[in-house]
Amino acid sequence: MLLAYALSSGITSGALYALVAVGLVLCYRTTGHINFSHGELFMIGGFLAFTLHVMWGLPYIVALLGAVAGSFVLGVLTDRVVYQPLIKAPPIAMVMATVGLSFVLKGIGRHFWGGQGEVVPFPPLVSPAPVLIGGVAVFPQQLVVVASVVVCMLLLTLFFTRTRAGKMMQATAENAHAAYLVGIRVERVYMLTWGVGAALAGVAAVFVAPLTLLTPDIGLSLLLKAFAATILGGLGSMTGAVIGGLLVGILEALAGTYIASSIQDVSAFIIILAVLVFRPTGLLGARARREV
Amino acid sequence: MADLSIERLSLSFGGLAALSDVDIAVPAGEIRGIIGPNGAGKTTLLNVISGLVRPTEGEIRLDGQPLTRLKASEVAARGVGRTFQTSLLFKGMTVLENVMAGMHQGLRTSVLAAAVGLPGVLREERRARERAREALAFVGMLSFAERDGASLSFGQQRLVEIARSLVAEPKVLLLDEPAVGLSPPRVAELDELLRRIRDKRGITIIMVEHVIRLVMGVCDRITVLNSGRKIADGTPDVILADPFVKEAYLGKSSDADRA
Amino acid sequence: MVTLSNEPSAPRAIKRRNLGWLVGRRPALAVGVLLFAVLPLMANPYQVYVGNLALIYVILAVGLNILLGLAGQLSFANGALFGVGAYATGLLRLDAGLPFWLALPVGTAITVAIGLAVALPALRLRGLYLALATVAFAQFALWTFVHWDSVTHGTAGFVMAPVDFTALGLRTTTGIYYLSLVLAVLLVAAAYGIMRSRVGRALVALRESEVAAESIAVDITRTKIVAYTLTAVYAGVAGGLFAGLLNVVVPESFNLFQIVLQFCMVVVGGLGSIAGSAIAAVLLIVLQEGLRGMQDLQEIGLGLLLLGMLLFAPGGLVQALRRWLPGWTEPHSRGGDE
Repeated sequence: MLLAYALSSGITSGALYALVAVGLVLCYRTTGHINFSHGELFMIGGFLAFTLHVMWGLPYIVALLGAVAGSFVLGVLTDRVVYQPLIKAPPIAMVMATVGLSFVLKGIGRHFWGGQGEVVPFPPLVSPAPVLIGGVAVFPQQLVVVASVVVCMLLLTLFFTRTRAGKMMQATAENAHAAYLVGIRVERVYMLTWGVGAALAGVAAVFVAPLTLLTPDIGLSLLLKAFAATILGGLGSMTGAVIGGLLVGILEALAGTYIASSIQDVSAFIIILAVLVFRPTGLLGARARREV
Repeated sequence: MADLSIERLSLSFGGLAALSDVDIAVPAGEIRGIIGPNGAGKTTLLNVISGLVRPTEGEIRLDGQPLTRLKASEVAARGVGRTFQTSLLFKGMTVLENVMAGMHQGLRTSVLAAAVGLPGVLREERRARERAREALAFVGMLSFAERDGASLSFGQQRLVEIARSLVAEPKVLLLDEPAVGLSPPRVAELDELLRRIRDKRGITIIMVEHVIRLVMGVCDRITVLNSGRKIADGTPDVILADPFVKEAYLGKSSDADRA
Repeated sequence: MVTLSNEPSAPRAIKRRNLGWLVGRRPALAVGVLLFAVLPLMANPYQVYVGNLALIYVILAVGLNILLGLAGQLSFANGALFGVGAYATGLLRLDAGLPFWLALPVGTAITVAIGLAVALPALRLRGLYLALATVAFAQFALWTFVHWDSVTHGTAGFVMAPVDFTALGLRTTTGIYYLSLVLAVLLVAAAYGIMRSRVGRALVALRESEVAAESIAVDITRTKIVAYTLTAVYAGVAGGLFAGLLNVVVPESFNLFQIVLQFCMVVVGGLGSIAGSAIAAVLLIVLQEGLRGMQDLQEIGLGLLLLGMLLFAPGGLVQALRRWLPGWTEPHSRGGDE
């Protein structure tokens, strides 16, 4: 019973980590950079949805669209303000710039949506009463989350395989120079990538908001969980990120249930350290070849 | 003086053969040219010799001692110096400091001694500076000693790179297209410099080069690579006359003699 | 033999040398040290406290710059190591009964050991992934400070007796202040010594190109370990002094805000410039005290400052100093104005 409960909540949060991790990997594959403000995009997305839905009383779907649009715009801004201007600077400068951005967003979140330690309640979408499925109590919100994440993944797959923009993003990720040579406007693709990556974080935030508590400080721990997911799944693989995200969610739920609930906060670190020590290429990853 | 031998060297990346079964013996004091069309594996060969890439098979020996299992920094420490196709001077350091960096192996200063500033450290620094200036004078770049490395032209940067390799007192020097972007008079100067490096410093040179005039003028022997294989090996005259070489490399490549 | 296309302009070089003693880096730093030395004689206790905090951050920022600016290696863990230094020194005094003069070096050694325990496995990762692993460590360290109650005394932290300087005839605050000043001067001098030696050149080589560094026989892994170790030493000393300054150690002193604060110090001063880090550390501590209690504004302000410097003035303060003060030279710092 306890196990089933841990698994169901683990799968739910794992699905969300997967969504955030996919956004992270998407940007990494295409642009070669990790956005250290990715978690803060999530946080802002969540607060936007909160404002629209809870404070202004707009329907949930409007909140969802608003949060997605808002985080997409923030992603595009990241591209314009940080990525494009620093594209030729040393990588260390880019990393520190996104760190700077993450603190700006965190400060904005704190300024408008509450001080440190304060949390914001988000009413559940569907009935909060658990339902029994095969003898296991499951919160309907969890089902909604998992279903929505699956839908998002399917949409993303369709986007990559069916749409022109998606194909251009794939091509740029494979070989930016070749993409440029065949007439793809690589800069536009980068912009779109940052936008889509951020929007995925926004979607995740809207789904997770009713299940957890939003705080201005949530960003970093989420970034680390998404990072643990990508490292488990092998560096730079989207499928790996999904599987890794689920694994991280399940592992931390199990550790939280059977060891100590506070372990959940540092599950990311423990997983990262374990992978580094025992299997530095990730569970599914191939060894990255060293460039000369 | 040292000799370098490459035996049955093969390297493949994911089923793609970058080098196959390459045998090259470079006797001590020789200037050896490596030529071949783009993608023939010339730079890859230098990367394998200098330990940046581990070969799939084969052995490289310096004076009979195997180098193949060593890290790149260890290969350099055994006396294999090199320069790169795109100049890799260290930005933020002056030309002189760049050359002093080349002495890493020869200097003894430890972190602690440097932090405390022991008198021995200052003495060693002074000596290192003298030797670096001497090497800069040797390549004709002494008047640039206090300049920022990044402010030099490509040709000048390459000369500094050569000085940086020389201060480590290598036995073998690997040069990757040292004449790229040089005007004909500069190529003549480089020709003369390479001879002095060999004659005065007793360093064996292996040089990948496209500028045929330089290769034919200065090299004792030339090895021709094509698609990762050695297709010819001989004195410049023999190589020029070899019909296979003409067909595979000289004949096809119109920019072969762009200098 | 080689035709010179553009000779360095000789007159300018001479001018630099002649004015150097007047407005150069060394005299400027000497004046700075002098100002700090007389501060306790004329300032109120709060100002002395801020000055002391600034000195501690000078040590932290200079140490971080060795890693970030000289060796070009990212780490987000410096705030956490700062905390480890404070906890180690504090707990050695409180629970192991060591005197401060012994607790400080032992605490620093513990900080280095923990720093290396994290750096060694993380060095298997390259670039951004290494950076993320150090973020994870920073979060883990904070968690440990809070949750390992039996050792760290948990969320509330712990209080120690003030460090006793009566043997030197000094009050505690004055004693800690001058100890911080002396250590800051020594550690800045040490950083310059390292920078100008073979070790410093190897660090810069590592920053600029690992491949080229290896070609001059620089062992990449060893050099990275040297860089991480040095930075941990500075963080450990700074942490120990911090514990001595406040006599209180609580987890939230070492929260993730340290990341942006310390990055700002290094970037505002100029990546790779020791003097720049020292100056920026003092400026930013004063700024931070001005924004005391306004966490949101501190985050937005420092975040924007970091972003703005990287975008519009990547050379930092020291680049301006080099441009406007003809005698100012700064070895190995990047973004030259040639």
